[in-house]
Amino acid sequence: MEVMMQGAAAGEDDLVASEFLTFTLGSEEYAIDILKVQEIRGYETPTLIANAPPFIKGVINLRGIIVPIVDLRIKFNLGKVEYTPFTVVIILNIAGRVIGAVVDSVSDVLSLTSAQVRQAPDFSGSFDTKYILGLASIDQRMLIVTDIERLMTSADMELIEAAAE
Amino acid sequence: MSIDMSQFYQVFFEESEEHLAAMESLLLELDVGDPDLEQLNAIFRAAHSIKGSAGTFGFTDLAETTHILENLLDRIRKMELPLRADMVDAFLQAGDVLRSMLDAHQGRGAVDQMAVIAICDRLRQLSSGNAAPSLPVPAQAAEDEVAVRIPEDTGRRLFDIQFVPTDIAANGVGIENLLDELRSLGDLEIVSRPAPGETGPAYWDLRLLTDQSREVFADQIDFIAENGAWRIVEDKAVAADGTTAFGFFPDCPGVPDELRGYGFFRGSGQRNEAAKEEDDAYGFFEPLPAVAAAPVEDDSFGFFEPLPASPVASETKDDGYGFFEPLPSAPAVIEEGEGFGFFVPIPPPPVPAEVPVASVVAEPAQVALGKPTERQAKTAVAASGDSSIRVSIEKVDQLINLVGELVITQAMLLQTSAQMQETAPERLLNGLAQLERNTRDLQESVMSIRMMPISFVFSRFPRVVRDLSAKLGKQVELKTLGETTELDKSLIERITDPLTHLIRNSLDHGIESPEKRVAAGKSPTGTITLKAYHQGGNIVIEVGDDGAGLPREKILQKARERGLPVSEQMTDQEVFHLIFEAGFSTADQVTDVSGRGVGMDVVRRNIQSMGGRVEIDSMFGIGTRMTVRLPLTLAILDGMSVAVGDQIYILPLSYVLESLQPMPGDIKTLSNQARVVQVRGEYLPVVVLHEMFRLKSAWNDFTQGIMVVLDADGARVALFVDALLGQHQVVIKSLEANYRKVPGISGATIMGDGHVALILDVSAIAGMARTNMQKAG
Repeated sequence: MEVMMQGAAAGEDDLVASEFLTFTLGSEEYAIDILKVQEIRGYETPTLIANAPPFIKGVINLRGIIVPIVDLRIKFNLGKVEYTPFTVVIILNIAGRVIGAVVDSVSDVLSLTSAQVRQAPDFSGSFDTKYILGLASIDQRMLIVTDIERLMTSADMELIEAAAE
Repeated sequence: MSIDMSQFYQVFFEESEEHLAAMESLLLELDVGDPDLEQLNAIFRAAHSIKGSAGTFGFTDLAETTHILENLLDRIRKMELPLRADMVDAFLQAGDVLRSMLDAHQGRGAVDQMAVIAICDRLRQLSSGNAAPSLPVPAQAAEDEVAVRIPEDTGRRLFDIQFVPTDIAANGVGIENLLDELRSLGDLEIVSRPAPGETGPAYWDLRLLTDQSREVFADQIDFIAENGAWRIVEDKAVAADGTTAFGFFPDCPGVPDELRGYGFFRGSGQRNEAAKEEDDAYGFFEPLPAVAAAPVEDDSFGFFEPLPASPVASETKDDGYGFFEPLPSAPAVIEEGEGFGFFVPIPPPPVPAEVPVASVVAEPAQVALGKPTERQAKTAVAASGDSSIRVSIEKVDQLINLVGELVITQAMLLQTSAQMQETAPERLLNGLAQLERNTRDLQESVMSIRMMPISFVFSRFPRVVRDLSAKLGKQVELKTLGETTELDKSLIERITDPLTHLIRNSLDHGIESPEKRVAAGKSPTGTITLKAYHQGGNIVIEVGDDGAGLPREKILQKARERGLPVSEQMTDQEVFHLIFEAGFSTADQVTDVSGRGVGMDVVRRNIQSMGGRVEIDSMFGIGTRMTVRLPLTLAILDGMSVAVGDQIYILPLSYVLESLQPMPGDIKTLSNQARVVQVRGEYLPVVVLHEMFRLKSAWNDFTQGIMVVLDADGARVALFVDALLGQHQVVIKSLEANYRKVPGISGATIMGDGHVALILDVSAIAGMARTNMQKAG
């Protein structure tokens, strides 16, 4: 499945570069498809949801829509979890849902061609390789190109009832 | 020009459903012995509309069945056949069959072909029954329609319709359907039509004499015609009166000759005689070609001269002649002997003198014609005044959401200004106060868009009761009160099934058989009362019967058999609520109506899912009353805000019974786990919200916080919270849209400060309390 997807992606994207939004979690830099990003806003204290896992910070009111907030730093044990006026929430539009993801900072918008994205080596850990489309290096930085849709809709995130695996 | 017809299907389905519903309710109202002509016409129109649009959309099965139905209706309407009860039954069955066809076309279920054939045969049989030799129906229908409609034609207008149909429409049945449709609106005359087999653009010229406005049929013509290649011109001067038609329509099929005769007789006040003479006149006219129109006219005048109406008539005559004389084409026409020749060259007749005459004639006519005219006129007024648009629910919901936003923003502003206290300028405060009023008005009116009268639900029950009482051999009368009570559309849709079930239940278990009723000293006819009204912020719907009432002992006995925890000490309310338990039935035998014990639990669950509740009152031998309480709308909730730690939750106010501060010693534990609180001698299970939601309470002692006593489906629990904050109307937002269902939470809302507050799901919380108790016990 993985190989197939990447194969297909490589075929289409050889010439056309896609735009990616990069953000940092601790010392790591991630890239996600910018088309999934609705907006970026500052962090505000959400309303707690009872008995939710710790990385689900709660829900906020985004212009009348109730949006759950996920702290990816807690989910992946990255960086110091503190909320400052500079803490950023990326509002994602995924599978018809609106979800907010807390990250340390948003750094860049980049164009990546599929040639620049290399397959990630297999490793195990909380951040499963199945959510990683590949690794890209720009200058000295390594970007982890993430399939954010797959990640957010996975059962791991506990965001969606009967999540598709 | 190819159009994707499927986009119109939904509209067709909805409209046909409405027509069917209208037809059914009219049929049920119909007095079989003395049917009201206007009602019969309304039924006919409903059937006709279904037929017309079904044909247009190519649902031939629907069109065919409706056609047969229409034939029979038409004959009854024309008094050729007397209305009988079995016909009403057949109509109702036909309505069911049509509905099942509609469902099948929408992909819901299949049509029972046997039933279709059976009902078609039945209708044919009824319509061929004992009546006069039947004439070719469509032509006859058109003519008779004219005859029936003439008395109401004070508002008739003549439209000149010209169009070039699309290739598709020209080759298919589109045109025929359009013509049928127009004939149903009034008198249609085809001035020019393309010769069969002719290639190139086909040109149609129609004349329609109708009491409808052009909007009624303009859409259909637009639909059939090539892009923009259509035109409707209204001939204002032809003030729809027989007199005008006189000179103009010597031999057109759309305007039968009675029309002319009729126009004259109006003033006479001797309707019966006139009608008879009209027949005579008819005989005169028919065989004569148009050339003879003028002499015939004289002849007919001869008839009327002795009548008191003659001054008017002769006046009309003069005008009528005035028409002909200046027309250059008239002699040509006479030579040709071809009536149609008249119309093409005639410009919209500019005869203003005609109008006053028409009104003179019309006035006494109305008086003379009396009751039926008045009724028809009234319906016509109602129809034209009741204009509406079809808007998708999504758009309305979007509007409601936006208004919800506005309300929140306005509350935020108000709060900010309150914090500014004296520093806020007077004008700002005034402006904000105004904004608050306007917002509230806006919210109310937007909310009312979704409101529909409950008669939409109630109207289906006469049929249910009729069918079911016949099946069970019971005599039941259904009374409905408060049909105009309005509630949210989504509630209307969801309340139908539970209410149907409650009514079936009342009929089957409540109302006794006539013999038993007589033996009990009651009237043999039972009564089921359906009543809706507002109470507080709720809609209350009562289903009452004067039947046997609920047998407390029998319910208790059944409950014991099923191993439910019951005791003699239970209150009546609690005992009666047992019938809502799944699988519970006191019926001795299972009928196909009810008695399987499924249903009442579904009723309760459905009603609860709407945020409502059911109560039962019953007296053995006297009757039973089920009371359903529903919130006005699903979108807004009366809530009480409570604080737990640093969080705010909303409790639906309808569940809150009371709140109290517990005294030391009021709270006891069971096996050191579950707690109970003593409220006036009664021990209620305690749900400690901060423990359940793993929050930090501001208090470490129960006596500092507040116990809110909640009534969740008859079971009472005490909810421990830190403090009560206030009472609000909150707009319910879904948590599941972007997140998932959270146990104990039914939704979310946005508070005045823009923060989200979660709404507690009282039933679930009470359920959790019960499981706690069971664990402890």
